[in-house]
Amino acid sequence: MRALRQTVEILRKDLLLEWRRRARLVAVLVFAVNVLLLFSFALGADTGTLAKATGGLLMLTLLFSSILALGESFRAEHEHAALEGLLLLPMHPVGIFYGKAVANTLFLLLLAPLLVPAALVLYGGALPAGQLLQLLALWAAIAAGLAGPGTLYAAMTGRLRSHDVLLPLLLFPLVIPVLVAGVRSMSLVLTGDPMAQLGGWVGLLVAFDVIYWSLCGVLFPYVVEEP
Amino acid sequence: MLLAGANGSGKTTLLRLIAGLLRPSAGSLRVFGLDPVAEPLAVRRRLSVVGHQPFLYGELSARETLALWNRLLERPWPAATIPELLEAVGLEDAASREVRTFSAGMRKRLSLARVRLERPRLLLLDEPFAALDQDGQDLVDRWISEFRDDGGAVVMASHDLSRASGHGARAVLLRSGQAVWTGAARDLGERLRMPN
Repeated sequence: MRALRQTVEILRKDLLLEWRRRARLVAVLVFAVNVLLLFSFALGADTGTLAKATGGLLMLTLLFSSILALGESFRAEHEHAALEGLLLLPMHPVGIFYGKAVANTLFLLLLAPLLVPAALVLYGGALPAGQLLQLLALWAAIAAGLAGPGTLYAAMTGRLRSHDVLLPLLLFPLVIPVLVAGVRSMSLVLTGDPMAQLGGWVGLLVAFDVIYWSLCGVLFPYVVEEP
Repeated sequence: MLLAGANGSGKTTLLRLIAGLLRPSAGSLRVFGLDPVAEPLAVRRRLSVVGHQPFLYGELSARETLALWNRLLERPWPAATIPELLEAVGLEDAASREVRTFSAGMRKRLSLARVRLERPRLLLLDEPFAALDQDGQDLVDRWISEFRDDGGAVVMASHDLSRASGHGARAVLLRSGQAVWTGAARDLGERLRMPN
């Protein structure tokens, strides 16, 4: 119960810090919309191709944006050794991990209300009626799949001078299962699922979420420990 | 206990080892009979650290910072304690200001307030007088004295020997990570004037 209370406190703290630094959210949003635009230029004016690729392009945009968001999430922790201050309190580091990972998931979730309509307008797709909640739930599962290992790697690389380069190098290969399951399930939600394949892909996505969040929680204390 | 020695002699490293923030590369360490690496929570429950770094978030106010630390404790104080603490460290007028606007001395004062929240039995102080004005240094002097009078133990690394030696019964002189002299704190000044 105490661990849960401490996790909630870390989450609250991170959300407050995000609100105070909301220019960062705006910067990530602008970056994400730019990426969507660039994809539309790269693939040409064929709306059929664009509409078919919408799920994949949205996933890639979320992945690239997540690097910006996750990379920054430990900046405040290292600025005045605040993370060390938390570690010196009688609290288990796991609480710090889950608090920050949930905050990062919420941050990535916030991108959905702008990116999905922007993608549908740019790529000429349409969200089938009644699919909005399904899409948001799917986005949350994908965001969690990126934020769990992303938080761990951001903690690992946060103190390194080359963290901007290392974070994507480490994270991208690890989240390939999330990327594949995310692209497939997002495409099925956006273009229809006549073969009822969605359940399998979402199941795979959720399975990887559970594995990542469990493993990363166990590994986090070793990552934040001094060498 | 007072830790003395030149820059790089190992004072901060020793304090970090005691706090369990570093793992010993050789040998072992016991704090209250516990291994700080194997049982970090049990050790940290009993100690408080005031170090070079203030452990703060620049975008939180002083009040929010203390409230956060308080809520993360196993036995949080009532919320009314926070304004009292801010007043005790002379930050009552800056309570709502974001910490990034604070001077180094104000940040040190805020990190000192954390000690009061934590109710430690062992206080680890790394240059506690650095960056503080005269009032701040007197405050640290007073708090250390009160803490020792209440039965707490203090391990302090400081270059301000005139102030620090008043708080330590014993002193250890470090050189390149080795204890080269141990004795009464009052004799430390004389030992430092001696050739190697």
